[in-house]
Amino acid sequence: MDTNAIVEAWRVDAWRALRGGYGLETVEECLIETQTGFQNRRPEQQIDRTVLLEGLKAVHKVSDAERAGALIRDGEIAMLDEGEKALWAHALARPDAWVMCGPDKSSLRIGVRLKLRDRLVALERLLDDAGFRPKIGLRTAYRSDWLDRTLTELAQREGRIA
Amino acid sequence: MNTNLIGARLKALREEKNLSQDDLARVFGFKDRQTVSAIETGERRLSADELLVAVQKLGASLDYFTDPFRLVGEGRFNWRQSNVPAAVLGAYEKIAGQLIAAFRTLGTQIGEKPSLVRRSLRLTKTSRFEDAAEAGERFAATYELGDVPARRLADVMEQKLNILVLMVTPSHVGVSGAACRLPDLDVVLINRDEVPGRRHFDLAHELFHILTWDAMPPVHIEDATETGGANRVEQLANAFASALLMPARIVRTVVDWGTLRGDALAAALNATADRLEVTSSALMWRLVTLGLLAKSTALAVPGDAIRNNGHPTGHFAEDATSHRPPKFSKRFVEIVARAIDEGRVSTRKIASLLGLSVDDLAETFDAHGVPAPYEL
Repeated sequence: MDTNAIVEAWRVDAWRALRGGYGLETVEECLIETQTGFQNRRPEQQIDRTVLLEGLKAVHKVSDAERAGALIRDGEIAMLDEGEKALWAHALARPDAWVMCGPDKSSLRIGVRLKLRDRLVALERLLDDAGFRPKIGLRTAYRSDWLDRTLTELAQREGRIA
Repeated sequence: MNTNLIGARLKALREEKNLSQDDLARVFGFKDRQTVSAIETGERRLSADELLVAVQKLGASLDYFTDPFRLVGEGRFNWRQSNVPAAVLGAYEKIAGQLIAAFRTLGTQIGEKPSLVRRSLRLTKTSRFEDAAEAGERFAATYELGDVPARRLADVMEQKLNILVLMVTPSHVGVSGAACRLPDLDVVLINRDEVPGRRHFDLAHELFHILTWDAMPPVHIEDATETGGANRVEQLANAFASALLMPARIVRTVVDWGTLRGDALAAALNATADRLEVTSSALMWRLVTLGLLAKSTALAVPGDAIRNNGHPTGHFAEDATSHRPPKFSKRFVEIVARAIDEGRVSTRKIASLLGLSVDDLAETFDAHGVPAPYEL
């Protein structure tokens, strides 16, 4: 889960429901970014760190070797925010199966460039799988149909029609 | 993104540390310097392990080698300021460098090419002040700046001369503006919180530096004055700026300046300066230079009468706030919006670089009439 997705899940009051579905994980940078003073959103939300951590199966510390590996694999990762960068560095170093939830187009573009499109998932899909429909509507970039359209658009632009 | 960013940064760091390619080859454990040369020119890519060696043994961060949003070993600045501590200016120069690097990187990402040609004025350090003033007058006429040259100057600089003009809010009040020269880009930064008259003068002054950079490279830091100045290049820049913003053909016809004294003179100065969007002080000394006002008469005008163009309650300064130009520039914002929309840069990343929240970005796009990209 990236910072944007966590903040949006919190905004629509879906965090507790979400944790019941998947084993959610993130990286330290994203965790920090969700806290007041680092969200870079207006208005900021009060995201209770304890409750947030209760919903996370793991918060990973990303090593320099993982960061270097990711940046060498695709230099465009440098165009991402610190949290997004760290999340990709962690994900690319994992040997097991994972899916990533983060709506920023530049992060999605990295997935397309690295032929990992099928690992990218919308927050709406995670909520559907958890059997939860939020009373507050999700913003467009967190919906499944937007993700599908955007991935197709990005794939066309990158010359990777899937 | 620059496909050889890491190699270029490695070269910049090597040169900064006065190391030879042989020295660097030993650091990496390469057989010869040719491998270093190939990395620096982009013929050979660094592996992740080698990148870590560079980080650990050369004392630079991973970001130093990979962050495209910073100027490394390039970009020369000329700052106009008043009593700003060097450390504060240095810190702001880093922020300004990030904005400039962002424009260049994102422009390249979306397929924009740098300008093929670069304009310059045919002036040198030995040029006379009259030559610089004539150049200012001719600039205003050539680029059809009209009856209020200050108003269109920024647009003309961006559209006709490919000079990026960024309206910024420096953290320190004494920073008026700056010119920055890169191998492939010219930039002028202006403090948008200054009153319009100061802002416009700074813009025209920095334009002079951009257009004469090779012939007379400006100093790194100068005092923000509209007259005089510490050295000849600054004096030439002031002469150019005055003439550009207050062409003789306009100021001559306003009134018979030589007949005015005291309150009447101050009132005419203030009204004309407001109309031309310059400061009354700059106008007064322009009239002296043109021989339309005696120096002794100018010196007799009380400073209080023309301070803030005669708006005693700070009205002119308040106007500056209400008529403050939007942040950055339309061209800059258009490139940012396209880059976000095409997924070339993270919204959180660019918002952070611009000193805005993600949600404030939309307002900035709107202020320039640029459609906002998708909403996060």
